[in-house]
Amino acid sequence: MKNLRVLMKRTFAAIALVVLAFSITSAQRAGTPQQGQSVKGADIKGRAPVNKEILKVSLPKGQETTLANGLRVILLESHRVPTFTVQMVVLSGGLADPTDYHGLASFTAALLREGTATRKSKDIAEQMDTIGATLGSTAGLSSLTSTITTSGLIENLDQALDVFADVIRNPKFPQEEVDKYKARQLQQLQFQRSIPQFLAQERFQRAIYGDHPAGLVVPPTESIKRITSADLAGFHSTYYRPNNAMLAIVGDVTLKEIMPKLERAFGDWQKSDVPATKIPAAPAPGAMRIQLINRPGSVQTVLQLGNLGIERTNPDYFAVLVMNQILGGGPAARLFLNLREDKGYTYGAYSNFGGSKFRGTVTSSSEVRTDVTEGAMHEFMYELNRMRDEKVSATELENAKRALIGSFALSLEQPQALLQNIVVQKIYDMPADYWDVYPQKVTAITAEDVQRVAQKYIDMGHLQIVAVGDATKTRGVLAKYGTVQEFDAEGKPVEPMKN
Amino acid sequence: MTLRKKFLNVMLLFALVATVAAQTGRSIHVDWKETRLANGLRVITVEDHSAPVIAIDITYNVGSRNERPGRTGFAHLFEHMMFKGSENIGTGEHFYLVFNNGGTMNGTTNEDRTTYFEALPSNQLDLALFLEADRMRSLVINKANLDNQRNAVQEERRLGVDNQPYGQSGEVQQGLIYDNFAYKHTVIGSMEDLNAATVEDVAAFFKSYYAPNNAVLTLVGDFKTGDALKRIKQDFEKIPRQPDPPTVDMTEPEQKTERRASVDDALARLPQVDIAFKAVPGNTPDFYALQVLSASLQSGQSSRLYQALVKDKQLVTNVGGFMDEKRGPGALYISATLRQGVKAADVETAIYDEIERLKKDGIADWELQKAKNTTRRNFINNMQSSLSRAINMSVWAVYYNDPNLINTRLDKVSTVTKQDVQRVANKYLAATNRTVVVTIPKPKPAAATTQQ
Repeated sequence: MKNLRVLMKRTFAAIALVVLAFSITSAQRAGTPQQGQSVKGADIKGRAPVNKEILKVSLPKGQETTLANGLRVILLESHRVPTFTVQMVVLSGGLADPTDYHGLASFTAALLREGTATRKSKDIAEQMDTIGATLGSTAGLSSLTSTITTSGLIENLDQALDVFADVIRNPKFPQEEVDKYKARQLQQLQFQRSIPQFLAQERFQRAIYGDHPAGLVVPPTESIKRITSADLAGFHSTYYRPNNAMLAIVGDVTLKEIMPKLERAFGDWQKSDVPATKIPAAPAPGAMRIQLINRPGSVQTVLQLGNLGIERTNPDYFAVLVMNQILGGGPAARLFLNLREDKGYTYGAYSNFGGSKFRGTVTSSSEVRTDVTEGAMHEFMYELNRMRDEKVSATELENAKRALIGSFALSLEQPQALLQNIVVQKIYDMPADYWDVYPQKVTAITAEDVQRVAQKYIDMGHLQIVAVGDATKTRGVLAKYGTVQEFDAEGKPVEPMKN
Repeated sequence: MTLRKKFLNVMLLFALVATVAAQTGRSIHVDWKETRLANGLRVITVEDHSAPVIAIDITYNVGSRNERPGRTGFAHLFEHMMFKGSENIGTGEHFYLVFNNGGTMNGTTNEDRTTYFEALPSNQLDLALFLEADRMRSLVINKANLDNQRNAVQEERRLGVDNQPYGQSGEVQQGLIYDNFAYKHTVIGSMEDLNAATVEDVAAFFKSYYAPNNAVLTLVGDFKTGDALKRIKQDFEKIPRQPDPPTVDMTEPEQKTERRASVDDALARLPQVDIAFKAVPGNTPDFYALQVLSASLQSGQSSRLYQALVKDKQLVTNVGGFMDEKRGPGALYISATLRQGVKAADVETAIYDEIERLKKDGIADWELQKAKNTTRRNFINNMQSSLSRAINMSVWAVYYNDPNLINTRLDKVSTVTKQDVQRVANKYLAATNRTVVVTIPKPKPAAATTQQ
């Protein structure tokens, strides 16, 4: 009987919440989608029973409030499972790093857990691990924010919040821990630079962004060596302030339950004026270049091709989203179907795009066996040009929209992802109904829109091509597309041997 | 503009997966129903209307352990063939339909099973069932498809093994740990064996291992059980049963001495030490005790190896590992990436010192709590999605004949005591029971880029 009572109580609570409502969108269209149409790499027989309706879902809404010191709180109740995730989003990240101090925000975030006024590094690790809670903190070299996240079982929320608030508010950055961390980062770089995809990413970011902070994937060694405990404490004291942060929470808890806990943890956190961070614009695109990193012993060539893209809030966002979906957004997209399913060159080929408050990139990439580097380059250039030169078909456009809108249903099972959506909306000051009208904006995109943004952002005259592989076997192939500059794994230019 | 919209709002009440209060916090109970079709297909259904999602998993009782010498990598290569079309589905159409309708899908192969799954908006239930039934009934087998996927799989091997640092080390280690061929070779297989696979191999494998009586189907999500079962019977029951495939002999002789290898790696820049202690099959009392042991030894920044090797002695950039869950004898793995200039022997000694300390003194109360709480959080988070519930239940039905492990597994972990941990440490973490592979960076001379 006791169990039954608890069960009923839970069920009533859940009903009272009515976390989501969903509705059916009837997708009435001239033709039947996905019927009898074959595309390169796939044979579409159109005999499977596809429901033509796109299940339209409403995303659950967060609740918001603000503490007296200016700390914004957003709670997304989710009673699916008895857990929580609490994320402090400090609205300053790598973009606030002074020149010559790249990595300061990143190191500050990483070292929060290495000691506070009352806890040693080991105490923090033991206390969080004992309750099975996670604690992570990160800031990118060109990020807008620094985020500190804890997650765990709801019955341990109080203990987790206690440690979480302590590392955010009272870190001491002990010099010994700072030195150890710096030494570890320098060693870690040796490991990272043995991974071909890492090398490609490093070179590509540099090719697009040059000296902009986004041109860096890891802090320069000089920067790492320069940073001291006092620098970290300075960054922390300047930017880690309640009026420069927001606390995003998802979990099996109500606002009424959690507010007293948050008051206790953060209520007396002192606010302070925080200097505004200037967002550096991405540099103007350089001329088309081919850069090859020689990695002796490679049996594959990692290829990454791309251009400067858009800011996250650019009105072209939805057109680029649909374009990317068609070009390389997954296994049903052109690059995968062509390079893998039709040609068998690779295990996968994809495109990607992203944007911040400065312009992001639009990229395509794949790993192909060395002896088909030429064929793969040919197909990449063919697909990029095709996006520009031809309108996408009605079927492809329809499929991309169905994929993008339909996937919202699955996101309802991932409350942490829903919370991230809300955080994005806040960081970029998007309208409150941004995610509600998102499907409509996707629906409104036309084939003309897709071609227009393809011509704008897949800019062949400024295309940056990066290859990582065995230079002796690939430099000749790449040279067919332009002058090839060669580099070693450290990013130093090397002279190719004339042969 | 080809889309016009008509909204029909349907209030959806949260029907929770039945929940009960447990002493250590709320736990989750999954109500499931099992139905056996006439052809032997085992069907597990879990209704859950908390989100408009359905997830289906079909796990076939076949993995790389069923392969024969000369055909390593075949179970996985075959898995790729399952996406190349059947009577009513064209090549590539399977994932084309799933992704283009807002879903996700994949197939994965390991030593012990091959599993296929889709999650889709709940109004695409018929599509998901049709896709799985059509390929179980009528897979298209031809040389063009085989050659195409042979290429894709060989690229998968290059991507994950041949073009990565430490790629060969795992392969060497697996070959060394086991004596029985079933586990002695890797799932990805060798290039030679992948080249040797024929269309006849594919046809025979399909007939024997992809029969309904060798599979478990689990459906989780927003559907009505009665309707779904009717549809499942309609789509699947006509597929004929086949004679049961031969069972695999998993016996593994006792290891008597330490096994050791050294690998020269042209792609690695830092040395690495990989250690494995051969142990027991999954879902046994010693397995759960070894999981707790592994958490104390090497999970998270509070772990003994992290504190000793990364923080105090600063010997390595990373150290970690896990107790592997297998149907046959699994192993406890430890891997450490060394700092430049550090000797592998010193790292091994530091690891063995920590193990000896644990064997002598056992673990602390907080370490036991850590393992239990961490397991519980991971398990519960995993339960959030219909898809992971579907996969787990199918796999546990195939592995242990126990889909209800989804309701009992945490209890099995919670019964582990400190004494159990100390006992299994002494029983399995012996020098004579370990296999050690040391990777040494041996860069190829970059002759072609040397300036003249």
